Amino acid sequence: MFGYVLANGSSLSKEEKAVYKAHYCGLCRVLRERYGQKAMMALSYDMVFLEMVLSDLTGAEESSGTERCIPHPVKEHAYTITSCTEYAADMQMLLGYYSLLDQVHDEGKHRDAEKRMRRLLPMLEERYPRQSETIRIHLDELGRNEGAGCSDPEGMSLIFGTLLGEVFVSDDSSFFRDDLRALGCSLGRFIYLLDAWCDRKRDARTGSYNPIPAGIDAAAMREMLLDAASSASDAFERLPLDQHVFILRNILYSGIWSKFKEEKE
Amino acid sequence: MDPYSVLGLRPGASDEEVKKAYKSLAKKYHPDVAGNSPEAARKMQEINAAYDQIINHKESFSSSSYGQSSPFGYGGGYGYSSGYSSQQTQEPIELRAAVAYINARRYAEAINTLRSIPVERRSGRWYYLMAYAEAHTGDSVGAMRDIDMAISMEPGNMTYLAFRDRISGRRMQYEDWSRNYGGFSTGFFPCCFPFFPCCCII
Repeated sequence: MFGYVLANGSSLSKEEKAVYKAHYCGLCRVLRERYGQKAMMALSYDMVFLEMVLSDLTGAEESSGTERCIPHPVKEHAYTITSCTEYAADMQMLLGYYSLLDQVHDEGKHRDAEKRMRRLLPMLEERYPRQSETIRIHLDELGRNEGAGCSDPEGMSLIFGTLLGEVFVSDDSSFFRDDLRALGCSLGRFIYLLDAWCDRKRDARTGSYNPIPAGIDAAAMREMLLDAASSASDAFERLPLDQHVFILRNILYSGIWSKFKEEKE
Repeated sequence: MDPYSVLGLRPGASDEEVKKAYKSLAKKYHPDVAGNSPEAARKMQEINAAYDQIINHKESFSSSSYGQSSPFGYGGGYGYSSGYSSQQTQEPIELRAAVAYINARRYAEAINTLRSIPVERRSGRWYYLMAYAEAHTGDSVGAMRDIDMAISMEPGNMTYLAFRDRISGRRMQYEDWSRNYGGFSTGFFPCCFPFFPCCCII
């Protein structure tokens, strides 16, 4: 999707990096298995985070192995798959399809890829009606607001957040569904705001839509992001996570800021 | 019953211990393991309630005077026992549906119900309920806006002030944690981990 929800490698130990990388490779592997080699283009760190949260929460059994893959044909590497990896892969495809559709509409790019992925859609929509409907409704709303030139970044980010919140709830009967939804929503707000911030110069150059009004500087942006991140942490800390909690906290409290810093400099 | 003993812990055990204990018990009584026995289901409910009481109580407003009696204070949890019935009699009829949704943790429905009440009939209580529901769906911006509105309508209401403290306190807590995890000012790799496949495939 966007790939903003990633770890800060410099404060992870070697072992933690290996665990994180194995979950990343596990998701990549499942994407390739289920959707073909090209599907790994859709892979993002955001869904690795979701997979690790859900796996930890549900105490899902992990299965590990080693493989060689097309991007890394020489060096054998480890991967970890759980029962939640499939869900994360499916959500990745669902989100990937809709964002691709967006690009086709906006820029006329990726028509072939869109056609290829469209064939998967009925299966995903049938399997995940709640998630797909929420994604569709809220992306439509974002699209309409973009068309109207909406310059309310907080309002826009909440629409995207609501969408991602639904994606975070893999099981709507879970005792923790509200905390997952709030976590997804807050992270979605963070992602949307940061993405808009990172794109603002390019958007200004190309005359594309961007929700951030001219008066917002890096300090104001930081405040908005901090608010979204704090809200995410509030929900996160209510979840009974213990297995990968150090890595997940590293992502939530540090890693998610990496692109913001880069952008500032 | 003491929530800690439900989880097999001594009183005052740390949050991490509570989470670990909860998880191992939840696994034990999960329908996939324990089958669909009513006994296991009842046990699961107890464990859930105990978890909720401990984890949410910890972040409750520091003064206990309203924490327990407010239907929305974390002290009472959402399965409230104490204080709720007396509150309910005072609750304006049109807010009761929203309160019921909040108690059932159906925040999106609570927000919809509240929105159906016209602006001129929105009380301080309305704004408080709205802020509460928004905070629990991840909309901290809306929550802050509405709790400020509630406070401006009823300046002396301790529950509203305490709730505002709680949501603004999140940020300080976040910044504390953040310092322990490498912060957000230093030490990032330029793009991602050098050894990660992401750069070459995305």
